[in-house]
Amino acid sequence: MYFRCRNCGGNVVYSPERHGMYCPHCDSEKSGERAESGSSELTVCPNCGGEVPVQVHTSAAQCPYCDSYLIFNERVEGKYAPQLMIPFQLGKETCKQSIREKFMKCLFAPTDFLSEVRLDSMQGIYVPYWFYDYDATCDFQGEGTKIRVWRSGDKEYTETSFYAISRSMDINFEKIPVDASEQMPDDVMELIAPFNYGQLGDFSPEYMSGFYGEKYNMTSDVVENRARQLMNEDSQKLLRESYAGYNTVKTIRQDIRVKDSRTAYGLLPVWRYVYQYNGQEYPFYVNGQTGKIVGTAPVSAKKVWAYAGTLWASLTVIMALLRTLLGLF
Amino acid sequence: MENNYKKEARRQYIHYFCFWFAGIGILAAACVILWAVRPGREEIPRTNMEAPKERVYDYADVLTQEEEEKLRRHIAEAEGRLGIDIVLMTIDYSVEGEDAMEKHNLRYRDWERNMQDIADDFWDQNRFGYNKSFEGDGILLLHNWYTGQTGEHISTSGSVERAFSSSDIDRVLDAVDAYYDFGPNTYTAAEPYKSYIAYVDKVEELLDRSSLPSVPWPVVFILPVFVAAVYAMSHLSQSKAQNTTAVNAYVAGGRPEFRDRTDAFIRKSVVTRKIQTDSGGSGGSGRSGGGGHHYSSGGASHGGGSRRH
Repeated sequence: MYFRCRNCGGNVVYSPERHGMYCPHCDSEKSGERAESGSSELTVCPNCGGEVPVQVHTSAAQCPYCDSYLIFNERVEGKYAPQLMIPFQLGKETCKQSIREKFMKCLFAPTDFLSEVRLDSMQGIYVPYWFYDYDATCDFQGEGTKIRVWRSGDKEYTETSFYAISRSMDINFEKIPVDASEQMPDDVMELIAPFNYGQLGDFSPEYMSGFYGEKYNMTSDVVENRARQLMNEDSQKLLRESYAGYNTVKTIRQDIRVKDSRTAYGLLPVWRYVYQYNGQEYPFYVNGQTGKIVGTAPVSAKKVWAYAGTLWASLTVIMALLRTLLGLF
Repeated sequence: MENNYKKEARRQYIHYFCFWFAGIGILAAACVILWAVRPGREEIPRTNMEAPKERVYDYADVLTQEEEEKLRRHIAEAEGRLGIDIVLMTIDYSVEGEDAMEKHNLRYRDWERNMQDIADDFWDQNRFGYNKSFEGDGILLLHNWYTGQTGEHISTSGSVERAFSSSDIDRVLDAVDAYYDFGPNTYTAAEPYKSYIAYVDKVEELLDRSSLPSVPWPVVFILPVFVAAVYAMSHLSQSKAQNTTAVNAYVAGGRPEFRDRTDAFIRKSVVTRKIQTDSGGSGGSGRSGGGGHHYSSGGASHGGGSRRH
């Protein structure tokens, strides 16, 4: 499917800035209507009939001939139908500006790193995520000590008090996100979080027009171990927080159990900018909702030598001139 | 497009360093202007006319006639600039032991005190001192070439005595010694003329230093290397994205629901330790440096120091 403007026939896209559908051709808003492909072939553009290169997990892409944004029905419907999604809240221009601001101070980055042409290649991608709900029960028993030290005369007293610590609590984890994309690095997807779930809503294909997208690459049971690990870590942290204040704590028994669990499939917005330098790719990811940036700028060795060398030469010349100047007095 | 980026890189580079280049330009211009308009150094007028004109007393005969002449001219120029007497005296006889005391009418048995006496007395008897004949401004290097008793003594007077610390005396002696050749059991002067030129130059450098601070050349070249390295390192480091997901980010209500939260007191233990006190404090004593101030047999104040090889 794709979205066509009722007024001019152009491709209508979702605009994060306007929070709605928008036709970039005739500037009209809310004029989009869903148009279906006449062909059953996935790789045929329903607008121009051109051959669209479609990756195995791609659910939304842009036609390289007519630039229309296409959404592939069979990859957003049926077993691939997302239940939840957060639409893009930040547009491309906002993200470009954020990247510029963050890396402006990277003096040794290549000159074209923040150029308009390079940044314009940034793509908005709906990344597939599994969301896990866990109703967990945590039980803890341990022995804690509190130590008090004071002085009286020429003597120092150390009093150690021993306590039996007992904790039992229910923790209801909601929507622990785990990305279901092989293409997206797991560590980056963890760093790019958190997303504000206040804007999490039902899936609607209109939000995908103007962006790229993927269906889930892995089923929920394949990636669940990451959610379980996060749940365990957070449960232990919450337990430790609950008995903070002791000088030492010895664990006697600790038990974290899951009583009930639920899974949901959804899409989250991420902007990706890939910069090529010296044959190497430098990917940058921007949270399409919060604007959090993950990525490291490349370093131009030429610039390092030029700038540090000039600074050294300038300082040497200045010191030599000052020395000469003082000698003239 | 590649050319555009190169142009942009050049523009950024010039924009970044424009103030540095401007500063260098201004400093260079100031140097040229000051050099062009600097007044010629006027010779400080001599006010002590009692002292002899001779400054090089080469009794040990280690210098050629030509070297002595060149050294005299070198000393005369430095004296005019500094306003001090600079004297050199070389000897080649024993200044240690009973025989030496008897033969040369010395007061002490030991080498160092005799060297000091000889230098101070020579200065006083000849009425040296640029500005006056008693405790006038100047310096004398006494160099003993007698085998087994080789070494030098520096005697300072007047403003030089006040200006030179012990370490300054050492610096002058280091400059003199730099041209010696130390064999395992022998002591031969490789280039005495160069030693005495170095003596005059070091005295001038040290007295000049007391008027305006001067940065040594190695510092001029090496310090910027460190600054440039720190600059490069500071710009190479980038702040990495941190995990900002709170521990309760995915917890419903933001906190767990406690069913049991008990802290029961079990027992208590107390350990007592006697505190070891440290009585008394440490005190420090210091001695301010100086140029070994003393009085000569004639009653004049002198500074200085010796070094025996």
